[in-house]
Amino acid sequence: MQRRESRFKKDRWLIKKEVKSLLRSRWLILGFIISPMFAWLFQGAFISFVYDQSTGSGARSKVYFTLEDKGEIGESLYRNISLNQFNLNITQMINITWDEGQALIDNRSLTVWVIIPDGFTEAYTNYTGDHPIGTVQMYTNTGVLRARAVALKIKNYINALIDYRPWVKEVRIQEYSISPEATYGHQLAIFLIMITSVLAPAPYVSQSFAGEREKHTLEALLVVPMSRIRILGAKLISGLSLTTIYMFFTVVGVLVYNWSILARAPNPIEAAIFTVNISTIPLLMLCQFLVLLCSIGIGVVISCLAKDQATAESVNSLILLVPTMVIGILGFTGSINQFQGELFGFFVQAIPFTHAVIILEGILTGSGTLLGLLGNISYLLGFTLVFLIIGAKLFDREAIIS
Amino acid sequence: MVSDTVIQTEHLTKIFEKGKKREVIALNDVSLEIDRGEVFGLLGPNGAGKTTLIRLLVGLLTPTSGKAWVLGKDVVTDIDDIRQQVALLPQEAGIYERLTARENLIFYGGLYGIPEEILEERADKLLDIVDLREKENYQVKGFSGGMKRKVLVARALIIEPEIIFMDEPTTGVDTIGARVVRTLLKKLSGEKRQTIILTTHDLNEVSELCDRVGILNEGKLIAVGRPSELEEKYKGANLEDIFVGLVTGEGVYGG
Repeated sequence: MQRRESRFKKDRWLIKKEVKSLLRSRWLILGFIISPMFAWLFQGAFISFVYDQSTGSGARSKVYFTLEDKGEIGESLYRNISLNQFNLNITQMINITWDEGQALIDNRSLTVWVIIPDGFTEAYTNYTGDHPIGTVQMYTNTGVLRARAVALKIKNYINALIDYRPWVKEVRIQEYSISPEATYGHQLAIFLIMITSVLAPAPYVSQSFAGEREKHTLEALLVVPMSRIRILGAKLISGLSLTTIYMFFTVVGVLVYNWSILARAPNPIEAAIFTVNISTIPLLMLCQFLVLLCSIGIGVVISCLAKDQATAESVNSLILLVPTMVIGILGFTGSINQFQGELFGFFVQAIPFTHAVIILEGILTGSGTLLGLLGNISYLLGFTLVFLIIGAKLFDREAIIS
Repeated sequence: MVSDTVIQTEHLTKIFEKGKKREVIALNDVSLEIDRGEVFGLLGPNGAGKTTLIRLLVGLLTPTSGKAWVLGKDVVTDIDDIRQQVALLPQEAGIYERLTARENLIFYGGLYGIPEEILEERADKLLDIVDLREKENYQVKGFSGGMKRKVLVARALIIEPEIIFMDEPTTGVDTIGARVVRTLLKKLSGEKRQTIILTTHDLNEVSELCDRVGILNEGKLIAVGRPSELEEKYKGANLEDIFVGLVTGEGVYGG
């Protein structure tokens, strides 16, 4: 009996020691607190943002309008929509011609375009049920959740408005998607590439700098006849070459993803909205490369300041996770440029990874310009360069070995 | 007479966090000369400044004041030239554990620009000497502490340096391993006239290996000389008595 108690006492001592040591490891505790918080915060932020962009106060959009019909019903529809802009979540109603609308479609900058064609009233007035009625045409940018939400509101409103005419139960609305490139597949690509690429280099960078210091291999390395900048350069080049493995397997992942979609949906045209267009893979890789490079630059700075590898990895994840989460969600919902001019928009634009998403979206939707593209690439590379210079300065300090 | 001094320091001082609350004088006004082919032992309690002195001599740290020359070259301005001819065996087992014993040697030598064929030949010899030939293709992560030390010694020797700085080279090595390392060091200093600066807490090792010793305490060099000279100076006290007496400030009383 006494022996048993003594054994339990030892167990208690061991548990006590383990808990005490664990509680004294700040980063470990922080990880225990932050991991579940982040998982749920991330999910909450993501779903609430999607909800807000689809149905909530964020689902507001500019609407283009072309009224060709000269009759009473067409004009009544236009007037009612115009008077109910606030309820329909329309931020601005802009009248355009057919040619102007086509131009907006061509440069992929259209949100929602409602067209009430010539003869619409006449078609309804003379409707006897044995010939096709006139239709309202609506072009929607399916890549933008807000545009889709507003288009749906307008559609329901038009139907409700027409419904009082007993002989017309429903107005026919011809819908067109004007942004086939901005598919779910590509939204997912932006989301996944951002999140995984930002965090991917952390283990290597942490091991290569903080890890070497922790294992005391850095000291012997720094006395070889090579300047520290060359050592740093060699480490960066090896980091970049390792990222090619990552990039290669991203391509493999994309192909497997496409295959898994196509396996269930044999019609490639129907499945196209969910798959990633193979021809865009080089572009995805370019953006991924820029993100990886920038992430390595940030990682070098963190790693040169951290005491050990575990701390470097934790700090790296903590610092990068929030902006990555924000950019990932905004990229997924096609809202990266929505907050321009606001404080939040300034924060978003300051994050270097935002510019990779803008490059990606700009090219995929065809709305990007060469100048804009170069500007975004320059920002990303400039940010990386600044961090690499800071990293080099930190690597050159005496304290790097202590 | 032509001076054969390979290491010289003049009033060498290193202060960390100078001017701040946490200021630490790690090395204080150390002047020292070490000749070619000497095995020089640096003795001192933990925190005495032994590692700081070595780090200053290999350019890992910059002196706060004073000067130091290695192989006639200034440690601040000519450090790249110095590094081509010196090797450092750090205090902690700083070894690439995912590389094999042989890969560790070849990799390190490669950083000095030595052709691979020569490195392979040297690695064969060194692995034989440290008795690790059979394990040469095993990743170091599975090695014992003593085996890792042997790899580190071999790694330092593969570049055939003129000066080897060894920070506690036999710490953690078993008796037989330590004997191998010591024999190797004797051979290097005797036959090859390589200069070895080693720090150690093992006074027997000092007696056995070192031509001269320097005792550091709180950053100051408080005694330098051949073990026999020190024993003579302190009237027959052994090295341990001298060390303890000087470091604790209790005084040295000869037998």
